[in-house]
Amino acid sequence: MIDVQNLTRRYGRHVAVDGVSFQVAQGEVVGLLGPNGAGKTTTMRILAGYLPATSAEVLEVAGHDVLRASLEVRKRIGYLPEAVPLYRELRVEEMLRFHGRLHGMDGARLRSRMGEVLERVGLTDRARQLVGNLSRGLRQRVGLAVALLPGPEVLILDEPTSGLDPLQRREVRDLVRELGAEHTVLVSSHILAEVEAMCPRVLVLTGGRLVADGSREELEARLGGRGAVRVEAVVGPDPEAARALMASLPGVERVELGERLGIHYTFRVHGEGDLREDVGALAATQGWALRELSFQSRSLEELFAHLVAGGDAQELEAAGAASPSGAAPAAEVQPDPAGASLTLELPQAPASSAGAPSERASAAPSPAPQPATGKRVIYSLNPFDRGAQRDLGAPVEVEDAPAPAIDEAGLTPPRPDAGEEPA
Amino acid sequence: MRGTLVIYRRELAGLFLAPLGWVLLFLALFANGLFVYLLLDATRGDVGTVLRSALGGGTLFWALLVFLPPLLAMRMMAEESRTGTLEYLLTAPVSDGAVVVGKWLAATTFLGLLWGAVPVYGVLFQLQGASPDWGAVLASWLGAVLASGLFMSLGLLAATLSATPLLAAFLAFVACLGWLLLPTFGGQLLTAATGLLQGTSLAEVALPFLRSSLEGMDVLRHFHYSWRIGVLDTAEVAFFLSWPVLFLFITVRLLEARRWRG
Repeated sequence: MIDVQNLTRRYGRHVAVDGVSFQVAQGEVVGLLGPNGAGKTTTMRILAGYLPATSAEVLEVAGHDVLRASLEVRKRIGYLPEAVPLYRELRVEEMLRFHGRLHGMDGARLRSRMGEVLERVGLTDRARQLVGNLSRGLRQRVGLAVALLPGPEVLILDEPTSGLDPLQRREVRDLVRELGAEHTVLVSSHILAEVEAMCPRVLVLTGGRLVADGSREELEARLGGRGAVRVEAVVGPDPEAARALMASLPGVERVELGERLGIHYTFRVHGEGDLREDVGALAATQGWALRELSFQSRSLEELFAHLVAGGDAQELEAAGAASPSGAAPAAEVQPDPAGASLTLELPQAPASSAGAPSERASAAPSPAPQPATGKRVIYSLNPFDRGAQRDLGAPVEVEDAPAPAIDEAGLTPPRPDAGEEPA
Repeated sequence: MRGTLVIYRRELAGLFLAPLGWVLLFLALFANGLFVYLLLDATRGDVGTVLRSALGGGTLFWALLVFLPPLLAMRMMAEESRTGTLEYLLTAPVSDGAVVVGKWLAATTFLGLLWGAVPVYGVLFQLQGASPDWGAVLASWLGAVLASGLFMSLGLLAATLSATPLLAAFLAFVACLGWLLLPTFGGQLLTAATGLLQGTSLAEVALPFLRSSLEGMDVLRHFHYSWRIGVLDTAEVAFFLSWPVLFLFITVRLLEARRWRG
């Protein structure tokens, strides 16, 4: 329905849209997401035939070339600009009638179609009111009704929820979602939640360039933001050891140590798939008192911030490995290469991570001596794990439990080599 | 064609739905009526002179023709461009030409209705027992409509240059005034130049050519030698229609250029 290849638009020296390519299939609802000034409106204006493209290899909407067969395209699209341009001095029905006539509709067909769209946007009882006297939200609906009137194949809606109150936003969102059943919809917004709610597929524009295209899941997967397991547990006096232990689990890519909440520590375990059961099993063997164990998918908001802050496609490629910005001291442990021994190298607090320790030290003021640890074997931690790419039947070795969670001082005598050379 | 008609109807209705149309109509009709009344008194009831003066013979007519089109053009181009309805029109399934021509026809119709007051005065005179020269009156009215069309197209062209309403109106006003007065002042300049360059080939060839060109463009002259005396000359119709065709064509191109610039 929409086919764009290498679309570029310049305003003098300023490049507003820079080599954007995407396709939208029939019946898709696609969100164009980006901060203000990213080129969303320009792209939409070009697609609607209002602005000419500076250059484009392919620029087709509804099967017609936008530049060469502009009128054919205009007949087949419903375009609602951000400003919702309507003649304020006309009544709602007059505005619709005018638009219908421009589309060559007349008589009974126009009347019945007007009734339908007014019903659809919930304005049947406002048909006789002057457009200029309507509130912003109602005018937005009139704009939608106008765009819908000729039954266009493609709907291009520029920020249809801007300037609305939360309730109206939800109405418009629901409406747009419904419209996807009959029309191909391209809708823009700079608000993540809107796009997330309306569109199964998202195009992210920033600085005139398309930095991401895909469903929410695809975007998340591409950015390595597949979500994480949040763990809140009593893990004993040395959270760093517990973190390393979790990081040693198969399938875990890295573990971030979060803040301390009383006697509880929080962790975020990143890895393939849902690792809750693995972590749970580990906690059971270690005798940690779990308070929370939940899977949290990374929000599109984070992804967006990441994309826009990076603002660069190369950045995007590398994003999978990069750690997301986090306020918590996030010491990282790269997972061992596959097949390597899972024997733990307990990180030395001062040596391994330079920035974090001061905070950690204050969180755990008395680093308890390490108890003797031995290797333990855990079998098939999570046989139902969907994402894990490992031999689930194979035994997994983990370190033996460290000191009991609540350490009665003096019960475990400090070992001379503790903290220096464990195991 | 269908699109032009739809736009024409909308624009004409728009002029009467907004206060500007009524304000202009009131002021112009008031001034014109006062002019007719005073002139009727001054000429001791010379009905023919009065009607001819009200339609092209007097200064007031031309003053209105220089003032009204810029204001209408401002409303039709600059204001619509500011409120975004121009974007709406230009993405509707009608050509840019249809939009411009529709607007021009609507504005010209509006002015035609305004000048229609003068024939109504004629009817009143008739009822009072006078006998106006109806041929001259109707020809003058037709000429007034055509002249309005010319200035309106020039106004639209100038108003398209700016999206700021006030500046657009000013530009259109300057264009209309220039178009009206240039031949007169140009002619005087040429006379002076001819005096200075006496005897040179420039004075013998180029200056007369310029002079005849300027005279050819002179709206006042064309109006006075045809419509005002009740002659319906196809050459004059062509004169009063070909300029608008050119100006409207340029207007469409300007709109397009504006989109290229963004």
